[in-house]
Amino acid sequence: MKVVDRRWFKIAARLLVIAAVLGLWQYVAVSGVLGDDAFPTMTGTLAQLGRELGGRDLWQAIWDTVRGWGVGLLIGCSAAIVVGTLLGLNRFAYLSVIPVIEFLKTVPVIAILPLAIVVWGASLEMKVFLVAFGVFWPLTIQVIYGVRAVDPVVRDTATTLRLRGLRRFTGVTLPSAAPFIATGLRVAAAVGLILAVIAELIGGAPGLGLSILTSVNAGPSRLPATYAFILVTGIAGVLVTSLFSYLERRLLHWHESQRNNASRAA
Amino acid sequence: MAKTPSTAPPAGTDEGRTRSLDVPSTADPVVAAATTPSQQFSARSGRRAFAPVRKALTSIWRLWFFALVLVLWWVLSASSTNTFFPPLKDILTQLWDLWVLGDARSQLWSSLEHFAIGYTLAGVLGVVAGALLWKFARVGEAVSPVLYFVYVIPTAALLPAIMAIMGIGASMQITIIVLAAIWPTLLNTLDGMRATDPTKLDTAKALHMSGTRTVWTVVLPGAMPQIMAGLRHSLQISVIMMVVSELVASQSGIGFFILEAQQRFAITDMWTGIIVLALIGSVLTFLFILVERVVLAWYLGARAVEQKG
Amino acid sequence: MSQSQVVGSSVPTGGGEPVLSVRALRKAYNVGRPDEKLAIDDVSFDVAKGEFVCVVGPSGAGKTTLLRCLSGLLQPTTGSVRFEGTPLTSVPDRLSVVFQDYSRSLFPWLSVNRNVAVPLRVAGVGKQQREARIAEVLAAVGLPDAGRSYPWQLSGGMQQRVAIARALAHQPDMLLMDEPFASVDAQTRFDLEDLILEVRRQFGITVVLVTHDIDEAVYLADRVVVLTGAPSRVAEIVDVPLGRPRNQLTTRASEEFARLRSHLMQLVTHH
Repeated sequence: MKVVDRRWFKIAARLLVIAAVLGLWQYVAVSGVLGDDAFPTMTGTLAQLGRELGGRDLWQAIWDTVRGWGVGLLIGCSAAIVVGTLLGLNRFAYLSVIPVIEFLKTVPVIAILPLAIVVWGASLEMKVFLVAFGVFWPLTIQVIYGVRAVDPVVRDTATTLRLRGLRRFTGVTLPSAAPFIATGLRVAAAVGLILAVIAELIGGAPGLGLSILTSVNAGPSRLPATYAFILVTGIAGVLVTSLFSYLERRLLHWHESQRNNASRAA
Repeated sequence: MAKTPSTAPPAGTDEGRTRSLDVPSTADPVVAAATTPSQQFSARSGRRAFAPVRKALTSIWRLWFFALVLVLWWVLSASSTNTFFPPLKDILTQLWDLWVLGDARSQLWSSLEHFAIGYTLAGVLGVVAGALLWKFARVGEAVSPVLYFVYVIPTAALLPAIMAIMGIGASMQITIIVLAAIWPTLLNTLDGMRATDPTKLDTAKALHMSGTRTVWTVVLPGAMPQIMAGLRHSLQISVIMMVVSELVASQSGIGFFILEAQQRFAITDMWTGIIVLALIGSVLTFLFILVERVVLAWYLGARAVEQKG
Repeated sequence: MSQSQVVGSSVPTGGGEPVLSVRALRKAYNVGRPDEKLAIDDVSFDVAKGEFVCVVGPSGAGKTTLLRCLSGLLQPTTGSVRFEGTPLTSVPDRLSVVFQDYSRSLFPWLSVNRNVAVPLRVAGVGKQQREARIAEVLAAVGLPDAGRSYPWQLSGGMQQRVAIARALAHQPDMLLMDEPFASVDAQTRFDLEDLILEVRRQFGITVVLVTHDIDEAVYLADRVVVLTGAPSRVAEIVDVPLGRPRNQLTTRASEEFARLRSHLMQLVTHH
């Protein structure tokens, strides 16, 4: 086996790349290619991040963002699962509503933001609404297709076993739809975070997005803080995505799609 | 589907295919999420049509609920005195005056110009970068953590920082569109190429294809369904970032128009902007689907056959 | 009356310079790692020009690995494979491969014509000649009118015919086939077996076909190389003294066929 294929070498290469990126950051900042005041040094940013982690403001901003994201996600996803399931179970309802939902899915969610801002102002409600609205449409579609995607053989089997009503729903329909819903949830979680940050950035609701904006506006001296907040936002993104991917794998380990993924990743 | 022969080399052999980045595959699940339904849909409805007339009637019939929603909106808002929800009639009149006859048209072009440049750059760079990371798999592996981090950062968060560096203007807006929209295309290209069927690669070797020819004849077309899924996702992100950049910092564009109307408290004007934005999103998606039907004709056809059988 | 020989150090050839010559082939995966696995232990045989050789073995007997080594897609761990006298480092120009899974080996984004054209384009054949050749091979496999279709619009058997046409397009000396008829139904299978015999006669081509189906091997082959279970060795090389042309009804009903079949069956099941 070649040395480049060894595990330690791969890990070392990754660490090296990370170090190189950080080094490049430092170099670009020090050399002033991007303008002296526009780009803080890597070391300055990390030092600032350390200070922020010790203070209250950063944690308050994180809490504000997470709260808006979490509540919006909860509302949007619950509504989507209920509505999607009901629509998916009825062919007529499904065929009627699909064009509307497919259309609304193509509408950029951001379009509704100005309306939310005039109605609720720079508040938690505005943020929650945007997140909930943004995750509702794509997830509803996922749920509908999930509920309708029961394998015909499984469906026939269920019928021959005389499974009906609630038992059929919980025993056959829901497990079949689960992978669709899980994927939809994972995507919704990531999209929701982006929307929460945008709501803060544009609508001025408190949270990480607003902190980034205000620290930029506060001038060059606060620039390291800006990048510290951006880093934290990025880490939040990593955590949210990893968490939901983990849950998806964990809860759906029995499902074929996950088995295939596992064998491919092995 | 044929089973893998039991005598096939065990996974992880010396000759094994390149191991991939650990970038979470947006690919499979998201592709499934983003494209599958409507494609299935089109394949299915296409097959069922025996007579075109009947097909047209069915699709019109299917829009009844859509029409109902619009009618309800019209009727319920007709005598609305709520500041935030003006009558639909007023909105549409204003829409006509501003966006068809009036000077709001220039805002539209400004937005679309930024979008077109940004999206094209993101698409081209995404495919090229994805292909390079596939080609140089070990490099791809080494940069994967960094790539992953940049991918999951909500790009909007970068906007103020980029504003600080580049100032306000078209180049900043285009940069932010590219920065946000490149990832789905890049990662889907990478994943799609990595998922190239080993049998097809063997076939390419057995047919004595050169490396370049293999890429153009086998790898790229094979990855095309996934690349298109990535491009579609990039399209949606491009539209969103187009507006976001205008809402945050711009003197032109639809986003600017909406923001300005909102600040004047001209709610009806704001509504027209929202509707125009909605229409742009759907029209662009619709155009994309048309292109996709041509580019992926073989794929959609093959899938329709598969589902029938 | 048994014409079979156990292979030792001396290897029989079908007379003349062998097209394909396999010597002490050994293939292990994951060499030097804890999960090292020996797929092929020791395989030697020769294929003479114009000969039809089938390789059979119980399932799991490294048949596909062997075929990949014979085609140059895979390098043996030790031992050698020579094609027309030259050791293999990649797939040689004069050799074509037909894979089992036509749905995966044909390119669904290319029409049948363009699929068949691929090896001709690679060889730099001009447009006119290319079109003539495509028409010729498609006619030879019985699909003269399928050129404009896409593979997925055709039935399984027709798709495998396209794959065979593509393999024949650039006039190879030898055709290597990996269980080519395993994914089609029984009737189509008979048709394709006869097709390949006919094509071979028409083009004077050498064929090596790997299969798990003993009847198929006997029906098609001049000689059958029987492998043991993994790690494979050559259990025996069996001559098939059945006359040609062969016929699905009469050949398969003959006493000689039955004798060969039961002999092979014993070999395969006992190893």
